[in-house]
Amino acid sequence: MPEVLVVDDSKVMRDMITACLRPDPSIVVTHAASGLEAIERLSLKRFDLLVLDLNMPDIGGLEVVEFVRGQDALRALPILIVTTRGDEASRDAVMSAGASRFMTKPFTPEAILSEATAMLAGGGA
Amino acid sequence: MTLAAPSGAVLGATGEATELYILFRVGESVMALAVSDVIQMESFTGATAVPGAPPWVAGIMQLRGRVVPVVDLRVRFGLPASPPTMDTRVVVGEREGRAVALVVDTAREVVRIAPSQLEPPPRIASDGAQGFVRAIAHLGPRAALVLDFGKVIGEEPLDV
Amino acid sequence: MKVDLAEFRSAYLAEVEEHLADVRARLVTADEAVRASRPCGRELRDALRLVHTIKGLSAMVGIEPIVTIAHRMESLLRDVERRRGAKLDARSLEALVQGTSAIAARVRSVADGEPVPEAPRGLLTELDELEAVAAGAPVELEAVLDDEIASRLDASERAQLDEGVRGGRRAVRVDFVPSKEKSEAGISIATVRERVSAVAEIVKIVPLRTSAGITPGGLVFALVLLTSLSDAEIAEAAAADLASVHVLASAVPAVLEPHLESATLEAEPLDEDERASGSLRVEVSRVDDAIEKLSALVVTRSRLARAVAALSASGAPTRELEAILVDHARQIRDLRASILRVRMVPLSAVLDRLPLLVRSLARTTGKDVALEVYGGAAELDKSVAERIFPTLVHLLRNAVDHGIEPSAERVAAGKPPVATIAVSCTSEANRSVEIRVRDDGRGIDAEQVLRRAGLPAGRAADGATLLDLICRPGFSTRAKADETSGRGVGMDVVRRVVVDQLGGELSLETDPGEGTTFLLRVPLTISIVDAFTVRCGSERFAVPVGVVEEIVEVDESRMLTGPGGRAGVSRFMLRRGESVPVVDLAHVLGVSGASQPKHAFVVRRGRREPVAFAVDRVLGQQEVVVRPLADPLVAVTGLTGSTDLGDGIATLVVDLLGLSAALVARSEAA
Repeated sequence: MPEVLVVDDSKVMRDMITACLRPDPSIVVTHAASGLEAIERLSLKRFDLLVLDLNMPDIGGLEVVEFVRGQDALRALPILIVTTRGDEASRDAVMSAGASRFMTKPFTPEAILSEATAMLAGGGA
Repeated sequence: MTLAAPSGAVLGATGEATELYILFRVGESVMALAVSDVIQMESFTGATAVPGAPPWVAGIMQLRGRVVPVVDLRVRFGLPASPPTMDTRVVVGEREGRAVALVVDTAREVVRIAPSQLEPPPRIASDGAQGFVRAIAHLGPRAALVLDFGKVIGEEPLDV
Repeated sequence: MKVDLAEFRSAYLAEVEEHLADVRARLVTADEAVRASRPCGRELRDALRLVHTIKGLSAMVGIEPIVTIAHRMESLLRDVERRRGAKLDARSLEALVQGTSAIAARVRSVADGEPVPEAPRGLLTELDELEAVAAGAPVELEAVLDDEIASRLDASERAQLDEGVRGGRRAVRVDFVPSKEKSEAGISIATVRERVSAVAEIVKIVPLRTSAGITPGGLVFALVLLTSLSDAEIAEAAAADLASVHVLASAVPAVLEPHLESATLEAEPLDEDERASGSLRVEVSRVDDAIEKLSALVVTRSRLARAVAALSASGAPTRELEAILVDHARQIRDLRASILRVRMVPLSAVLDRLPLLVRSLARTTGKDVALEVYGGAAELDKSVAERIFPTLVHLLRNAVDHGIEPSAERVAAGKPPVATIAVSCTSEANRSVEIRVRDDGRGIDAEQVLRRAGLPAGRAADGATLLDLICRPGFSTRAKADETSGRGVGMDVVRRVVVDQLGGELSLETDPGEGTTFLLRVPLTISIVDAFTVRCGSERFAVPVGVVEEIVEVDESRMLTGPGGRAGVSRFMLRRGESVPVVDLAHVLGVSGASQPKHAFVVRRGRREPVAFAVDRVLGQQEVVVRPLADPLVAVTGLTGSTDLGDGIATLVVDLLGLSAALVARSEAA
């Protein structure tokens, strides 16, 4: 039962992503509404995939990735970044910081599901 | 309810607290309703029928921006319904937040009635013993049926 | 299984509207900073993040024009924040306000199911031009920070700390350590953040490692704050030990006596984040669904009452049952009131949008106007509030355009140079709210109005008469298209909305040379739905659009008849391979005089088979105000309520789903 942590400050966005992953009944999705909550949850439980929005208050996706990759236990956690058009500069930064893959909004439900499945199967960091 | 026994006093005898009543006609009967129960009186041009409502409910009408159910008193008292005329009126009563319009054949008078003029209704009344009439008022040569507004509009009876 | 993101549309609309309200609130605060020539980094950063979220969401549901506008706004915001020391100028603020309105208008189009207009060229050009302006001066730094924290703050955050300390507050760091136990007790970084932001201004929250690997105790969140509270109070809010509170910088001694604070410190700025920590975002459709279920409860209750009455008439002892029924009725009434309250929004949600509007109007007309707003605590149904706003916009526009004189003229008349418009709201006995819009301008010129209405001058014209005249359709004394406020709304529409649609009252008082007052009285709760108007025999009915799956033409030649079909109906038609029973609505409702039905509404309850209700003719479609049939005498299945189609006569609003359920139930029972 792969555990996926979906991080985005927009509830609609979180619900949409969760809906996109629903066709795979084995995936268990947990939500976090901010980078801080995400880091907190990652420190208390083991996840198999992190789906992360870049644009969030307080600490953005970039800082989360930097923090996560700085932890030995999380170095291998697959991270899927979700960005919006126009984020190119931050995208480069976050990929250099160690994110595994990224997707740009808008994306189709099929696209994110197949990306997530691939990463869970061993796409890795 | 205990009523003062008729003392033989004349209409409008001094010393007694009288109450105002609206008098109106339904079929052959003259009926009365305490003014304290009544909020409005209007002419009646028809109600919008509500399917599924009891047969004595003519429907609903809009009264000054408010939607009120309309009770046809003729039908309520077992008379056949009749189409409205120029004289037809609605007497709109209100009890505990419920405003209901009663359709009557004519409504013209307001009178003062003293408790001494009231007596309890006879066993056999024209309402089929459902408690619509709470008293008979003796107004000189005439008698008027004083209605219990709550019973007429179908309140749950608390004291059977 | 195919995932359809279009299902998220109404949730998207709800969230975007909330974000837009937040953006507007930031812009109002930014406006004050613009006037005082102060930086407003916090507002810009928040607005930037919100606009970016709107952009991303809109991209996902495929609304390009909004994405375009949001993208430009974002670039401008980022530019001002990073390169211009977060100092916003009036022209840029105006462009951002326009952008917000343009997005809001397009969101409305989506909500109304109308095509979304392209992004306005003029606005895009303006936003682009403003972004190209050169960068401003760099920001100085004064507060002393430890390296660990200093490296994680950017220039504008350090400036924020700096300003706070200069203003007399202390820059403090408090550490929160998450753990499984705390998490189970409901203490998480999210809750701590909420509690702390209620008592202090959070500049940044920095996650730090304290030992190799993330284990409980190995992760710590350092909250960097500006506050006037004591260390102990901060520690308590953060659920932390006093030892984990460090002062980073302060302009006054570290230990503060409470009574000293008011003498030496400025007031804490309003923290937008502390707004409504107890609130819940609710989709309107869910509330309406709850109301529908409640209506079913009311009908069942009537049936119960009749059954008890029958029992009582047959001599059974029903005293206790009747007492229970009375309680039951009251509880249902209370429940309904509670559910309706969920749809209530504070009037201030509407009023908060007015200051920016008036500023905009004043700027475009060159008049000097100050807006005062009183009250706003009253809550009204969301659909009422949404209709009130364009009405107020029009009244304000009129006041600024026609009512208010130019400064010079005012001074010459012995009035203060700056005109005042006061909007005040009071609620009356929980039934209605009264909104007064009063200006101290030149008043309405009765002569001019009479003339324009084609009436002989010199007649006495009181407020009611004048109101009647200016509300005549086509009376408008101004040109049609108005850039600032978008759609033009005439006084006739104002009256139609307030009086006919909302069932309220509108009146006016004017004093030549002194000013004009408009008074609106509006009921607090109302239900408005989109409905088809239909003719059935001698009667008209309204059928809510929402339940209708399809309207089909009734073709007698293609009707089939079969014995004892579903729902006890013997007539049916074939539709896409399904046999759909066709019922005459006139027959079901006991209406006489029905002619050959031409159209039928196909409705389907959940996943069940559909039923078609045939009517003589569909007359049209319009929004109607539904007044529930609350009285037990007329609360019947199959009717949602009654409405006024404009002729003063009550028209029934039919509940086709309820009727189809009743039909099926009846045939199953037979």
